[in-house]
Amino acid sequence: MTFLELTEGPLWYVALVVFTVGVVWNIFSILAMRVRNDSAQPRKSPVGGGIKAIFLHMVPHGGFFSRTAYHVIVGYLFHFGLFALMLFGAAHVAFIEKWTGLSWTAMPRWGLIVAAEIAFGGLILMWIRRWTDPITRKISDRDDHIGTGLTMLAMLTGCFALGESSDMLRAIHMLSVELLMLYFPFSRLMHAFTFIFSRYFMGAAYGKRGYVP
Amino acid sequence: MIIRSFLLLLALTLGAMTLPAPAFTADDGPVSGVVPGESLGSTSDADLWRAVRAGQSATISIPDREAAVLIQSEGENWRNIRNGPISTIGGWLLIGVIVLICLYFAIRGRIRIEGGRSGILIPRFTQMQRVGHWFVAALFILLGLTGLTLLYGRYGLPYLIGKEGFAILASASLQAHNLFGPLFMASLIVLFFTFLKGNIISRVDIVWMAKLGGFFGGHASSRFYNFGEKNWFWMSISLGLILSFSGILLNFPGLMEDRYIQQLAHISHAISALIFIAVGLGHIYLGVFGVEGAVEGMTTGAVDANWAKEHHDLWYEEVMAEKAAESGGE
Repeated sequence: MTFLELTEGPLWYVALVVFTVGVVWNIFSILAMRVRNDSAQPRKSPVGGGIKAIFLHMVPHGGFFSRTAYHVIVGYLFHFGLFALMLFGAAHVAFIEKWTGLSWTAMPRWGLIVAAEIAFGGLILMWIRRWTDPITRKISDRDDHIGTGLTMLAMLTGCFALGESSDMLRAIHMLSVELLMLYFPFSRLMHAFTFIFSRYFMGAAYGKRGYVP
Repeated sequence: MIIRSFLLLLALTLGAMTLPAPAFTADDGPVSGVVPGESLGSTSDADLWRAVRAGQSATISIPDREAAVLIQSEGENWRNIRNGPISTIGGWLLIGVIVLICLYFAIRGRIRIEGGRSGILIPRFTQMQRVGHWFVAALFILLGLTGLTLLYGRYGLPYLIGKEGFAILASASLQAHNLFGPLFMASLIVLFFTFLKGNIISRVDIVWMAKLGGFFGGHASSRFYNFGEKNWFWMSISLGLILSFSGILLNFPGLMEDRYIQQLAHISHAISALIFIAVGLGHIYLGVFGVEGAVEGMTTGAVDANWAKEHHDLWYEEVMAEKAAESGGE
């Protein structure tokens, strides 16, 4: 068995199972948590408040945009770049098709490069902020840095494999992605799924009182 | 019948071998395309191939003008310069700088804050400046490592990781180098605008330079930035511009029809990068290891008051005067 076969075979299955079971278990745990019974008469719909909060918090609002502009802009750059790479990179589309049979139009090569520039720029700038902003530095712990580091590693090895010149580079990229998938369910990277629940919970709690901040 | 034919053929062959060869001498080589003996006609292809070797352009019917040149002769010059002086002098430059840094450290040691830490912090760099600095620094390291792998990797790495291993590493380095290049250009713009203020050369810098910055003893006054820092700033911008411009030409070879320009771009890219890395090593040493308390300005944004007094006394006095004016006005 070659290294590539190992990373695209057994290791991939292990990573996929841990990732899927871990994510589903986390979401189930959140949904199964009991919310304290609030018998107060609602002023407005909590469901409406929850849904409003999910979308409202996707855009900066309120009077302190200047203070949040950096991480809002940089955060969006990174996430959009990463999703474009993951879902529309030609090699990724081919990989998804191989495993699921589903396929869609991939980005052209120049699109891939632009998305990669944006994603890398965003991630580097976010990580720098974690180290240099005194408050963010204080509230960042090992988990934040490991999660960011593994994301960076997966992107970096993907960048190395851009030339599609070697099975070894492809295998290294696969391995780094698998490491990320193994770590994902046990870390704050879970925010990729749980942000919807946390926003909804907050929005519903406030929505019931008639105001969604 | 077959045997007789064979014997006849053998006799003719042996007879032909005994005939004298044409009496050509060394002087009878092709001259001006004329072949001696005129056995293949009055002209030969020699002139044609000579012209091809000299890089002469021919007439073609496709739009790609570069395809009209069969052998781009300057390519050999470029290869010799790249693998010769650039690699050799550049390599010695980097080794020399590392040796100098080690020697300086051995002689001078870490420059401590003489008065010790006062515990009073003075804000030095804003969050935006720190982000700009580390953004450039991160890309500088990524591009430097991948670039050095491409330029020097072949001289040592194949012995460590094998030829195939090096080929894989070189391919990975090339992809990363090409990808991070444009980000470096963006970071340079951020660097320029966030650090321009205070980096204009003034009279104080001449005195600082005359005292060699106090690095070999004595004290040299400076404002927010000293002359060395100002030089580093302008060097970063100017070398960064050369690297950016030449990098664009190398990343998008389709922009040029003339390969010669690409070769010049490559040479200027390599020279600028080597100087940038060599000076950068000095900057990293002084910023991180060599001068106690210096790196804090870039990590936390504040420096100790005693550090400011010792290294940037004129700036320290300005800050203190401002503080005094503020407290006096209250």
